[in-house]
Amino acid sequence: MSRRAGPVVVVAALAVLLAGCGGYDETVVADPEAAPASSVPPATTPPVCDNATQSYAPSGPLPAPDDLPPGSTMEKIRDRGRLIAGVSADTYLLASNSPFTGQIEGFDIDMVEQVADAIFGDPKAYELKVITAGDRLPALVESRVDIVVRNMTINCARWEEIAFSAEYYRSGQKILVREDLADDGVDSVTELGGVRVCAPTGTSSLDNVRREAPDAVVVEAPTHTGCLALFQEGEVDAITGDDTVLAGLAAQDPYAVVPEQETFTDEPYGIGVNAADVDLVRFVNSILERMRSDGSWRASYLQWLQPTLGQGAGQPQPIYGRTP
Amino acid sequence: MSQAQAPSPAPVPRPAPIRAPAGLATPATPAIRAQASAGLAGRPTGTVEDVPQLLNRWQAIAVTTCVVFGVLAALFQLLAWQATGRAADNTEQLVRVQQIQSSLFRADALATNAFLVGGLEDAEQRAEYDAAIDQALRQIADAAEAQPADRAVLADLNTEVAAYATGITQARDNNRQGFPIGAQYLREAGSGLRADAVPILGALADANTERAEDEMDGQNTLPLLVVGIAAIAGLWWVNRQLAKRFRRRFNLGIAVAAVAIGLVTLVGAGVSAAKSGDNDRLREGSFTQAIDESTARTAANDAKAQESGRLIARGSGATTEPLWQERATVVQGAASGETLFLWTVYTDLHAAIVASDDEGDWTGAVELATTTEPGSASAALTEFDQASQQVVDQAASQTSESLRSGGVVAWALMIVSLLVGLGSAGAVARGVGQRRKEYA
Repeated sequence: MSRRAGPVVVVAALAVLLAGCGGYDETVVADPEAAPASSVPPATTPPVCDNATQSYAPSGPLPAPDDLPPGSTMEKIRDRGRLIAGVSADTYLLASNSPFTGQIEGFDIDMVEQVADAIFGDPKAYELKVITAGDRLPALVESRVDIVVRNMTINCARWEEIAFSAEYYRSGQKILVREDLADDGVDSVTELGGVRVCAPTGTSSLDNVRREAPDAVVVEAPTHTGCLALFQEGEVDAITGDDTVLAGLAAQDPYAVVPEQETFTDEPYGIGVNAADVDLVRFVNSILERMRSDGSWRASYLQWLQPTLGQGAGQPQPIYGRTP
Repeated sequence: MSQAQAPSPAPVPRPAPIRAPAGLATPATPAIRAQASAGLAGRPTGTVEDVPQLLNRWQAIAVTTCVVFGVLAALFQLLAWQATGRAADNTEQLVRVQQIQSSLFRADALATNAFLVGGLEDAEQRAEYDAAIDQALRQIADAAEAQPADRAVLADLNTEVAAYATGITQARDNNRQGFPIGAQYLREAGSGLRADAVPILGALADANTERAEDEMDGQNTLPLLVVGIAAIAGLWWVNRQLAKRFRRRFNLGIAVAAVAIGLVTLVGAGVSAAKSGDNDRLREGSFTQAIDESTARTAANDAKAQESGRLIARGSGATTEPLWQERATVVQGAASGETLFLWTVYTDLHAAIVASDDEGDWTGAVELATTTEPGSASAALTEFDQASQQVVDQAASQTSESLRSGGVVAWALMIVSLLVGLGSAGAVARGVGQRRKEYA
């Protein structure tokens, strides 16, 4: 190679090298900003009382829909044209959306229909608002709904914010486990040590399982159906909740079983009402009395819950005597 | 070959006589003259200068300058042409990424809407959902093939899409058995899509936008000018050295080379500046339109999914409506004039759905939201979706075609630049050679 050709060759080589460029740095996905650590609210001592299930006595026989007391909450609802009820849409057997009909149905929805029927003479004169467990009290306090029928346990703390009807169902907390775990003897809350167990955020079920099974690995989900999804994905081995809810979950998964066990809490369900609407509470209690007498409560139980929960203890006896 | 002459003094056909260096007794020979002191163009005598050697050096410098100019000018034009091609590739990749996102949100809107309908889901909607997922998966494969730098992230996206599709299948299977957990799987799939797949798509869109814009800026107008000016300056310097020694202002070979290089530089820079201007207009025009319309299409389908989500969250729509509003604002801001009126048709129908739901007529609202009859919200959204897709395709094609156009001119300029460089090298070699002959 001549000396003169040298620089030319170098330039040509550089040209070829540069022309061949064009690669890019690999695309990267920025890490999501770390979510701020959720602050755990300080533990507070729940209010204690000995009359949590005590409600306001019915004010007399149930009035006819066109004979509602003037100025009453029921009349206002009637004037509006529909009852607004806060319910669940994914608690199978109690209140869940039927993919076949597109309608929410279940034991709790039967309660809503009874109230609508008593006010309008039409069991379908209602509007359902699907709410989460955590939204049950705010929905009532803010008067977004007239009643909440969403497997809500009556307790003293809640009485401080809202009012309850008489108890309409006595449930209790149990555990649901994988079939093979049940075979291995994990059949009660005391056996949950080291087991991953799911409960919905913000529920008494979560507090109860932490208290009753301190060695369990507790996992939270937004709802019980969310827990079942985690269960099916192998993220948890057990779910805890009211027996009614667990029955609905077990019905959706052949590998989920609710072993024979004693309930480790009492969960008396009540229909939630705004604390100021005492007349509506009394009215609802009259409806519950009518359901006892005309057999409609029993009919609902037979349709929705008996197939999975058995005979049951029947409609709970109401306790009245609370005064506003 | 004639030589350009300085106006005065009178032409000097031969260099000034050379005095033999001190110590040399023999008569002047060429070899001795080569080592003679330079008394050429008024240089002070007594300074020893090897003129032939200098001529060789100047010739080498001038030839190299011309060759380097030719190679670099051609190279800059080649790089600019390649950058434009890559800008087109990146634009196509960007549109591909946007299409993947639109397809996924279209699929989600269809899947979510199907859950509102009681009973067997609509076969047509199901087929449309399958087609949207298939399209997204194919586009992911195409995108991975097209841009190696995106491949790893696209593999992650593929996993997310597979997880989404599995979630929807689980949702559907459970739904068909009447189990409420089906709706839970639907919610999880939708939230997973937004939480996991969307950030990936965002990163891909950002990376390819940046690449496309960077490449559109790669026209090398300034380097081309700098190289041309530098080459002319180099030739001017060589010419000056010659002029000093041979009493001629211009060397014709060098002058011809400088003029040729100047012309090529001007033409090349002009074409480059024009292309750069075209690219700027494209970036502001069809390129932006393709991106904006894709964004609008994605947001529109997401809004429809939120509308279904509102109805699935039966009666609690007030809490989910802001999500719809958020998407609607994006569509309003990004949709083109050709599709915005179709979006307005849908928003009016959405307002009717909301009114129905707010008045407590959930069943009526669902009916309005799920029917696909002409004049329904679903039909209006489909119409917007299709029109939007068409706008994206047209804008993307226009961008890509415009970027890829001008290849013949670019190659012609490259070849001309190279040839001018080489030709100029020949001219300067000859021009300097002429001086050498004169000197000999």
